[in-house]
Amino acid sequence: MTTYIIRRLIMMIPILFGISVISFAIMYAAPGKPTVMDLDPDISVEAREAQMERLGLNDPPHIQYINWMSNVVKGDFGTSFTKKQPVRDMIADRLPNTLILMIFSTILAVIIAIPFGVLSATKQYSKLDYGVTITSFLGLATPNFWLGLMLIMLFSVQLGWTPVGGVSTLGGEFNLLDRLHHLILPAIVLATADMAGLTRYTRSSMLEVINQDYIRTARAKGFREKTVIYKHGLRNALIPIITIFGLMLPTFIGGSVIVEQLFSWPGIGHLFISATFERDYPVIMAITMFGAVLTVIGNLIADILYAVLDPRIEY
Amino acid sequence: MKTKKSLLVLLSMIFALSLFLVACGGEDTATDTQDESSTPSDNNDGDTTEEATPGEPQYGGDLVLGTSGEPVIFNANYHQDSASADITDLVFAGLMQSNENLEVVPNMAVDQPEISEDGLEWTYTLREGILFHDGEEVTAEDVVFTYEIFLHEDYTGPRAGSFTALEKVEALNDYEIKFTLNEPDARFATLMSYGILPYHILGDIPIADLEDYREFNIENPIGSGPFVFESWTPGQNIKLTAFEDYFDGRPYVDTVTFRIASDANALVLLLETGDIDHMIAPTTELATIETYDHVNLSNVLALRYDYIGWNLDRPLFEDVRVRQALTMAIDRQEIVETVMEGNAEVAHAPVSPLSWAYNDNVPTFDYDPEGAVALLEEAGWTPGDDGILQKDGERLSFTILSNSGNVVRRDIGIITQQYLGQIGVEVKAEQMEWGAFLDQINPPNFDFDAIVMAWGLALDPDPSAIWHSKEIENGLNRSAYRNDRVDEIADANTKILDQAERAAALAEVWEILAEEQPYTYLFYPEQFVAMSKDVHGFTHHPRVDMYKVHEWWLDR
Repeated sequence: MTTYIIRRLIMMIPILFGISVISFAIMYAAPGKPTVMDLDPDISVEAREAQMERLGLNDPPHIQYINWMSNVVKGDFGTSFTKKQPVRDMIADRLPNTLILMIFSTILAVIIAIPFGVLSATKQYSKLDYGVTITSFLGLATPNFWLGLMLIMLFSVQLGWTPVGGVSTLGGEFNLLDRLHHLILPAIVLATADMAGLTRYTRSSMLEVINQDYIRTARAKGFREKTVIYKHGLRNALIPIITIFGLMLPTFIGGSVIVEQLFSWPGIGHLFISATFERDYPVIMAITMFGAVLTVIGNLIADILYAVLDPRIEY
Repeated sequence: MKTKKSLLVLLSMIFALSLFLVACGGEDTATDTQDESSTPSDNNDGDTTEEATPGEPQYGGDLVLGTSGEPVIFNANYHQDSASADITDLVFAGLMQSNENLEVVPNMAVDQPEISEDGLEWTYTLREGILFHDGEEVTAEDVVFTYEIFLHEDYTGPRAGSFTALEKVEALNDYEIKFTLNEPDARFATLMSYGILPYHILGDIPIADLEDYREFNIENPIGSGPFVFESWTPGQNIKLTAFEDYFDGRPYVDTVTFRIASDANALVLLLETGDIDHMIAPTTELATIETYDHVNLSNVLALRYDYIGWNLDRPLFEDVRVRQALTMAIDRQEIVETVMEGNAEVAHAPVSPLSWAYNDNVPTFDYDPEGAVALLEEAGWTPGDDGILQKDGERLSFTILSNSGNVVRRDIGIITQQYLGQIGVEVKAEQMEWGAFLDQINPPNFDFDAIVMAWGLALDPDPSAIWHSKEIENGLNRSAYRNDRVDEIADANTKILDQAERAAALAEVWEILAEEQPYTYLFYPEQFVAMSKDVHGFTHHPRVDMYKVHEWWLDR
């Protein structure tokens, strides 16, 4: 196991390297340059040129890549072109907000999705099953931004129950209830898609398990149905579900882009959007690499968990 | 009724958001962001709106301003974005400032400068007893320090080009500062509103390191403006408090908070729920905002014009008659009435009616489709078999480009397509993402036939940056407009110190540019501010969003 993990960790290096080269190349090939984004007739051509030179944008792309890479290896992600702040600080400022939103919405998704998935499987082809299935597909099909807008219009504007956006009330000290109050709508929106997917996974995984021989054996032994389902069935059905969490890790960034924008939630996704429009290369690269690392690590965790939970699998 | 309005809001937001991923902040970004400078003016036809202020101003209250911009640096010598400028306008104060009629008036200076006969020596006198937020007095030494930064060879900011005429700056005594120029420069007066920096704090920092000196520029900027900087939480808010010892009297409100939201849609919602008191209202949101009972809208003409730019390097647009005919074929009044919902005035020349250099006596090309056809025929363009005008086998067909996400420009492109289609000109209207769009239309690419764009103008009307032929290769003259007479006047105009004389010289430039139509000048748009009815004492400045905020007061 240990050697397996070490081998996988070593393999991450060439993978991440490849991702960085491709991301850099795509970013560089995209039209638009950082310094022409803010045109000001009062800023002379010379000043703009000097700025290009200072930012190293006049170097050929491969030199820029090498410069960037050699700094990254030293742990320096550079300074934002437009915000002039160290990229590491910018990400550190926003990461906690994204994490809070993600963790909260994941918990929400799990506590709703798994029970409904189980119920849906144990009462297959019942009205409840159809109801859950239809709702799941609706959840999967509803675009995040649309649902978010609807909820804002209803709960924030019409009813005035929740704030329109942001992470906390202006001027207030830290207050857990206030934070939760701000968190609830974006978390629900973000949880919807995950929730729908998870319900479906749980249902099919559960269905597969309860048709297995050992479940019949358990029933034959005369265990109560509850024990059969939850102790024997669910424990085994959850193995593939848990590994899905590992694969969900990278969506921490991707999924939040739209929701953060919608709710003015100052997280990584929000930062990524503005950096992309401003062609803020160091920020774009840092967040892309962050996402890549999460993906690779998420995959690794999924594989390890799989082995831990299922004694039949060995590496 | 309420539900219907909300439904409209909702629908428009859904629409806006569906555009969101391809959209961008391109609306006004192509405009210059320098808002610190100002220009002398003897022509006050700016229709500035001053709000009626019922009752007596009262002290107290927390003013919350909505913004979608994240600032960069709180130091006017370096910033290039309007979000930073909004903060520095509140925290710092300059010697002079531009008032709502765009005249340069004293701020920390006692009076207008004394200018020597040859126009090379400008002496300003500072008011006595003005304090920085840390209690130190503002003296001539601080002014000299602030302006010497621009002249320093290690200066890393973007404004060195504005100060090429400045030879040296020196303190004559504690309160008198003398600027010596190496040649007369009429623009110089507009450079006197940069926020004065404290020498006693920054004096020891090498100029090369000043831009990166975060302890001051970001964490703790100290100026002599009406508000003291408290904190900035990125992505969330910026907090300022009233400066008790502000030289023009303590601000009425106790605190000013900028609430940062992702975009105009989010801001409008915050306005509706009363979370913010003030926002710059985009034209596209006006219909929604007008339905809010607790909100006032204030409008004033913006120092800006919108245009269709023709690429004169393309053979199609070489002939001035073609450009004139294209303008005549487009009903600009109709565009103002429909796309802009009446919130604009038709433009005829690249100078704003707000400017003292405005010349309304220029050739105009009003809507006249028959005249346009006749003019095109005179230029050799006759209808071909497919109904499209042709000349020597070449069809009069081109693409008009604008930036995606900007609904106004998209609509202008489509309307232009229809108007020109009626006289036999084939137009394709396309949109591109803002960054890609700029890359394509700017040097070295210049790859466009026609663009829908806008210029936000500087306070000084010098036409060089946009119209001088030396700005074609690497500058902002992207229509590739060449005219020797315009070059000549552009070169000479900044050396004419007498404003009337300079206005007369520039009048000829506007006449030439109106006659030659390198752009089809569309309109001068109005700009809107939406404000809670609790806010009083607001003065709408055409360029400075955070103007005299210390005079605003809250009635709640």
